[in-house]
Amino acid sequence: MNVLIVEDERSLSHEMEIYLSRQNLNCDVAFNGKSASDKIHANSYDFILLDLGLPDMDGLDLLKESKKAGIESAFIVLTARSEVEDKITGLDLGADDYIAKPFSLAELHSRMQAILRRKHGLKSNVMSVHDFEIDISNRTVHCNGQSINLTKKEFDLLHYLALHKNRVLTRIQLTEHIWGDVLEDDYESNYIDVHVKNLRKKLSAQSSVDWFETVRGVGYRVNA
Amino acid sequence: MTIQVKFAIYNAVSKAIIIFAFMALLPLLVEKIVYEHIDKRLIARSERVLLTVKKGSIADIVREQDCSFESYNILKEEFVAIYPITDPQKMGDGMTIKDESWSIEGEKLQHRIIRLPFLYDNQMYELNIGEGIGTIEELKSIIQRFLLVMMLAVILISLFVDLAFVRLLFRPFNSIIGNKLLPVHSPTSFNFTPIPSTTTEFNQLDHRLNQLMHKLKDAFLMEKEFISNVSHELQTPISIIQNRLENLMNEGNLSDETLIKLSDSQRTLNRMSRIIKALLLISKIENDQYIKHEKVNMFELMDEVLEEIEDRLSQKNITLIKNFQDDFNYQPCNRALLFIMITNLINNAIKYNKDGGTIEISTKKREAYYLLEIKDSGIGMEKSELQGIFDRFKRLNKGKADGYGLGLPIVKTIASFHHIDVKVDSTPNEGTTFTLTF
Repeated sequence: MNVLIVEDERSLSHEMEIYLSRQNLNCDVAFNGKSASDKIHANSYDFILLDLGLPDMDGLDLLKESKKAGIESAFIVLTARSEVEDKITGLDLGADDYIAKPFSLAELHSRMQAILRRKHGLKSNVMSVHDFEIDISNRTVHCNGQSINLTKKEFDLLHYLALHKNRVLTRIQLTEHIWGDVLEDDYESNYIDVHVKNLRKKLSAQSSVDWFETVRGVGYRVNA
Repeated sequence: MTIQVKFAIYNAVSKAIIIFAFMALLPLLVEKIVYEHIDKRLIARSERVLLTVKKGSIADIVREQDCSFESYNILKEEFVAIYPITDPQKMGDGMTIKDESWSIEGEKLQHRIIRLPFLYDNQMYELNIGEGIGTIEELKSIIQRFLLVMMLAVILISLFVDLAFVRLLFRPFNSIIGNKLLPVHSPTSFNFTPIPSTTTEFNQLDHRLNQLMHKLKDAFLMEKEFISNVSHELQTPISIIQNRLENLMNEGNLSDETLIKLSDSQRTLNRMSRIIKALLLISKIENDQYIKHEKVNMFELMDEVLEEIEDRLSQKNITLIKNFQDDFNYQPCNRALLFIMITNLINNAIKYNKDGGTIEISTKKREAYYLLEIKDSGIGMEKSELQGIFDRFKRLNKGKADGYGLGLPIVKTIASFHHIDVKVDSTPNEGTTFTLTF
């Protein structure tokens, strides 16, 4: 998979590149609109991660121009400006998703996966984690043929952890994934622990959940 | 009341007063003029008669035994009569002119009579000349009716002309009010096209209004851009560090301790990011950058909020009591903002509640407004603590360092934006109640 990272902050671009490369994605970078535009027309990318605050043009114009030229890549708009209009305009102009900075790279990755599923209808929509089968499109979990009843949040939690298996996800990453960008006045919230507890309980009723690890002081990790 | 209505009323009333005054005075005026005229004639005639008498001899005129003379025209509207005065006491002081009824050949008619005593041949006579005033009354009423009709016509025409003129005169003014002032909700949607007018004051008004609006619009846009820039400038470095830490954490061989430290750092960054977002939200609302044009059903909204936070309720074993008496639709509003406001209030109710406590949410309808009450059985606050509860970064000093103190300021800002009144009451150790008045 080819990804173009259009971001004028080099440090940020670099970190994104590191992360995505680790996910076995080929990354290309552009630091301004002009070079981005050149690259977009020269190469074919599966994803274009587009920062709106570019030095030489508005990212939205680049998006508009690309869509007009018939570029079929999936566009994800990234921005640190807090404009609601940007989000609406971006999506209206054909962006596949919109993420506000600062975002978790894990979150970015899971959004990219979601877009892939939407666009190409992934052949295998089922993820296996030990004895459990997670059907992403139907949002069900089975173990040895038995269906397990999970709430929406519990499913999202399990799916997210499984998607990033063997990597620890912090409580914050998990919380933001499930509750989104809620303006909460509670940075010590450990509500996520309750969900994990319930999730573990439901899963362990069917089979062992040793692979569901609590990383003390940090978060959780699914060990494949 | 609009200018035009006021003017129309003034116009109609003042003209009506004129009509009535005129109508009241006219008869008197007519009478006075006519009578003066008649009197003059009577006096002139009396002088002529006396002259005739003096020229000839009264014997020619007097025909009957009682030495009196009477003559009248065929219509009995004029007469001349001379009588000898037999009773000196009956004599008046001089000439008198009066309205009296006078019989001529048995017919009694109203006349204006001049009586003039005069001396002739050592005998006092009284000269009576009369003029019928029956026709005068008729004349008066004809004139009155005619003038009434004329006046009404003139007044109606002038009324319409006046109103039309006022309307024309005020057209630029109405245009300014209708096209510029009333539809405006934010400086960016202001219509700057100048309204043409030949009236100096309206031109001044229009010009000044445009100027002020330009200033407002510039200030508004500057503030908007500032907020946007602040967001970008602050969140970008946070973003860089956050992502860097994330990548670090994913590198293989890190000790548990290191992982924990990195995770803590991320938490701190997250806190900073949230504070910035909360502050920016408040600034944006205060800068009128949000629009409210949605209609929301309160029960629906409450259910949505409750669905999001129900897990937290169960974590603390809190029982939710729904006292939804009256449903209502609220508009205009910004649904997303109302959602945040109510979520924050309920979050607070959970946070400061006791384990196993309760939260009671009630909606009530009153005549002119709706009430939404959120009552918790929590630790409560002293009256002194209630004071600055909506101040930014103010936190309850009860040892728990949760939250960064912006939840309630956000509630307050969103409430003011919607013109919703927020009241809070609390009893230590018993609970706190927030009441919203829509």
